[in-house]
Amino acid sequence: MFDVIFIGLSLGSILLLVALGLAITYGAMGVINMAHGEMVMVGAYTTVMGGLWLHIGFLASLPLAFVITGLLGWAIERIVVRRLYGRLLDTLLATWGVAILLQQAVRLEFGLSFFGIHIRGLGPGLQNVKVPAWMTGVVSIGGDQVNIYRLFIILVTAALTFVTWLLMFRSDIGIQVRAITRNPRMAAACGIDVQRINALTFAYGSGLAGVAGVMMSGFKTVFPDMGSAMVVDGFMVVVVGGVGSLLGSVLSAGLLGQVNGGVAAVTNDILARAVVFGLVILIIIIKPTGLFSFKGR
Amino acid sequence: MITQRRLDRAAYILFIALILLAPLVLGDFWVNRIAKFLVFGIVAVAVSLCWGYGGILNLGQGLFFGAGAYMLAMSLKLASATSMQQGSDHPVPDFMLWNADPGAPTELCCINRGSFLWLPFQWQWFGVVMGILLPVLLAGGLGLVVFRKRIAGVFVSVITLALVLLVRLVVIDAQPLTNGFNGLTDLGTFHVAGFGFDPYARATYYLVAGFLILTLVGSRLLVETRAGLILQAIRDDQNRARYLGFDVPIYQLFFFTVSAAISGLAGMLYVIVAEFASPTFMDLSFSITMVVWAALGGRASLLGACIGAILINVIAASISETATFVEAWKAIIGVVFVLVVLYLPRGLAGFAQDFGERLERRFADSGKTTTPGVIPQAQVPRGQAP
Amino acid sequence: MSLNRRSLLKASGIGASTLAMPYFFHRSAAAAEPLRVGVLFSLTGGLSIIEKSLSDATMMAITEINASGGVMGRPIEAVLEDGASDPKTYNEKASKLVIGDKIVTVFGSYTSASRKAVLPVFEKHDAMYFYPTYYEGFECSRNVVYTGAVPNQQLSNFIPWIVKTLGKKKFFIVGSNYIYPREMAKVCKILMKQNGATYVADEYLELGDSEWGSMVNKIKNSGCDAVLSNVVGDSVVAFYREYKNQGLTHETLPICATVTSEIEIAAMGPEYAVGSYTSFPYFMAIDTPRNKAFVQRYRSFVKDPKAVTHHALESSYFQVFLWKQAVEKAGKATADAVREGVRGQEFDSPGGHVTVDPNNLHTYLTPRIAQWQADGQGKIVNAYPHPIEPLPYVAYGETDSNLFCTRNGLDVAKLRKS
Repeated sequence: MFDVIFIGLSLGSILLLVALGLAITYGAMGVINMAHGEMVMVGAYTTVMGGLWLHIGFLASLPLAFVITGLLGWAIERIVVRRLYGRLLDTLLATWGVAILLQQAVRLEFGLSFFGIHIRGLGPGLQNVKVPAWMTGVVSIGGDQVNIYRLFIILVTAALTFVTWLLMFRSDIGIQVRAITRNPRMAAACGIDVQRINALTFAYGSGLAGVAGVMMSGFKTVFPDMGSAMVVDGFMVVVVGGVGSLLGSVLSAGLLGQVNGGVAAVTNDILARAVVFGLVILIIIIKPTGLFSFKGR
Repeated sequence: MITQRRLDRAAYILFIALILLAPLVLGDFWVNRIAKFLVFGIVAVAVSLCWGYGGILNLGQGLFFGAGAYMLAMSLKLASATSMQQGSDHPVPDFMLWNADPGAPTELCCINRGSFLWLPFQWQWFGVVMGILLPVLLAGGLGLVVFRKRIAGVFVSVITLALVLLVRLVVIDAQPLTNGFNGLTDLGTFHVAGFGFDPYARATYYLVAGFLILTLVGSRLLVETRAGLILQAIRDDQNRARYLGFDVPIYQLFFFTVSAAISGLAGMLYVIVAEFASPTFMDLSFSITMVVWAALGGRASLLGACIGAILINVIAASISETATFVEAWKAIIGVVFVLVVLYLPRGLAGFAQDFGERLERRFADSGKTTTPGVIPQAQVPRGQAP
Repeated sequence: MSLNRRSLLKASGIGASTLAMPYFFHRSAAAAEPLRVGVLFSLTGGLSIIEKSLSDATMMAITEINASGGVMGRPIEAVLEDGASDPKTYNEKASKLVIGDKIVTVFGSYTSASRKAVLPVFEKHDAMYFYPTYYEGFECSRNVVYTGAVPNQQLSNFIPWIVKTLGKKKFFIVGSNYIYPREMAKVCKILMKQNGATYVADEYLELGDSEWGSMVNKIKNSGCDAVLSNVVGDSVVAFYREYKNQGLTHETLPICATVTSEIEIAAMGPEYAVGSYTSFPYFMAIDTPRNKAFVQRYRSFVKDPKAVTHHALESSYFQVFLWKQAVEKAGKATADAVREGVRGQEFDSPGGHVTVDPNNLHTYLTPRIAQWQADGQGKIVNAYPHPIEPLPYVAYGETDSNLFCTRNGLDVAKLRKS
């Protein structure tokens, strides 16, 4: 029983890890960032490249990936997303284009493959990420075996959620972000530099995806298309949780994770996925604004 | 305004003439390929109808396309001579035999638990009717719940998205019944009164082209009816339409269902042209691609969306078959796409419309003020439903 | 993995430039009219992780043939297309190659889904398709030459060996949810029964899904003593990692895989696979001068000193030579000539001697079992003394003395009796 709950918890934390960044960019800014999965991918490749070229370890990749994807997110906000505020579905379409572009950039090694140049760690193939030996295997807690890597993911997710909560609800910038969430024009009228805050928020959301990418790279497969499935799951978590509600995302990730793990344990993984999709549809139909939601904006 | 209308009509006539004349200059392969793209054009009309005119962004259009495709493919599978001769005197699709439990009777009725569902498909027209009916029922059932609950905007998108992924999962998992991941292949030829539609024949092209014209003109006439105008009013402001006393869900449901039926029709035509049905029709990326076609062509213009779908596919095919770009074509499509969303938010149709207006202004009476013939863009409430 | 496309095409087409290859191109070959062939693999999309390497191997074989004088003095011109990991695109590109470009022979496909999607094009327009991947069998097309393994070439020695040598009796069968793994599971069950072993579960995960938490937990609690994995694609990496992360070891509970190749081992890191087994006709570690030279040539061809070779890649490479020999035997390159010419054709491939079965156009291959080592290479622990006959209908009672698929096509009566 404990192992099933632990797996459910772990599935939920993985969902949340991806959804956290989306919750910010979508919830607070009203941007459906389809390139979010590709940010996860870039984070994973940062780990690969960092190990190959800079010889830095797995853990040291965490801040590096945060910075790199944050900068990338900032650039995307400046070039593409900035022109699309208020056009929710257009952001979905434009960032879908950005996602394709990012995938191809990695696959074609930024175009260098055309000139016969190969960069180790890029290209269409699978990539290897070295994980510190102490993070593999199990640790015994109260007689039950616990997967160290998954435990680590749960801790990182919890820490990131806490930091995000602090930023959003206990800092000056957070107040400004929330003001923009409720009403961007009024916020601008109150002297908030909406453009700057939006760029920062988007960069932070993308940075979170980068951290998620590092965590994913250690136990999933690293390849250019790895992110495209994740963004869908993350998006569902955010919508089910209620747009703009951090707590909602946490709870919906936990719920979907437990349901997935529980059903998989009793029946099989395929049915579990189907049940999760069904549950998402059901929740939105019963509570169209998600489990928790704000009015506004 | 009148010039605008006239230009509009001219565009339709020109387009129809063009697709009718195209086979005269194209070879076998291009006739088949353009026929496939015309099918995508039909899908784009469905997307435009639902999204551009109804403000309902369906991210699961592939569900209806796939439903239509599978229904006809089931009939054609049973009509296939080669896949029948696999060890039974009665028509049983080959994959059912290799998925069967040892000792199961090799009859369609009872080779596995669900196989009796295939029985009526021995009659080709049952498949054809189901190809429309199933999407209509699915869309009707879903729409009834969703629109009554006043679910709108992005929430409809997420529901349709989750639904298409759910169905895809089930179709792949039900391998003894659907041949899972490989889909239905090795199909027979579609016959009408003894005439077989070979995918590479001109006749098949004209079958597709005929349905495209029918869909296009029919949809155009439909959106100009009173119901169509009310739908557009609902798109622009749902609440206002409701206060005016219109039964909003009925209109939404009707157009959502019509759009699904058109997608189902397209799915069937695709099976005739491409000779297979696959669960990849229900991939999320395909559904998003459909929306992309409509957005490129101009979501609020049926003809624009249709041309957008055909054009983007022709461009993608041409670029990807250039030796230099065989690996980079997707990146190019990605760039084009971002640029269109940024700089041509109303797609090619919007661009053409602006151009038409400029013409109109030049030719119009200088004293008369022109009303812009622009159809307002889809406005979807941001984030929250009302 | 990268290659200079433009110069490659130029080289294969006109034979004008030299690549980073130990060969020089003969001007004389360029004078004759080139023979055109199609190369159709996914260069974009999720499957390009493997298919790109198959495409590269095919191009390498073509380049080598051109360098040594071409086919009957004519250079090969490869028309490269991208299947984009999507059966729709595969179907469209196949008809472009066969009907649009009037090309008779195409090398391509990795998944069964993509092969099935292009099959009608080849069958209805009588063109030849060379398919390099291990697959589930149950196909008897006169338009396809299959150079990868079929279930009997991967399993007929594997299961008995696991039972007898490793002493394992209770299997947990796990696979990706599609036809190949399900068909492999079917053959496995037959063989397990014959060898006195049982299975405790037969479970599947969605293709491309990499969340193994629940499944590995089930394996852990199932009481099995070996895991038979038919997991395909990028999920493999996540599977082996989760396996170790949940505290399972290959010493006590080995994963015996039919699909895990050098590519996935390199991606997961060998430490996760040490001690597990795979059955394939070809391994990069095959210790012959011919194979070592092949690996070297491949690495310099793709300009990646760490590139790995694997079974489907090797088949992609040698099938071009089988085609060349068939064309030379027949003296022309029409579909009929290739089909009849390739029957019984033999070639010394990097992995050993291969022969095309004159009946079913599948290929005689040598089953081998390897145990993965810490350096990411498989140590071959068991191999058949000779190549064995391909039996695409083995799950339905086909034996080498009772073939279901012959020159005349599928014998339905035999299938009916099964």
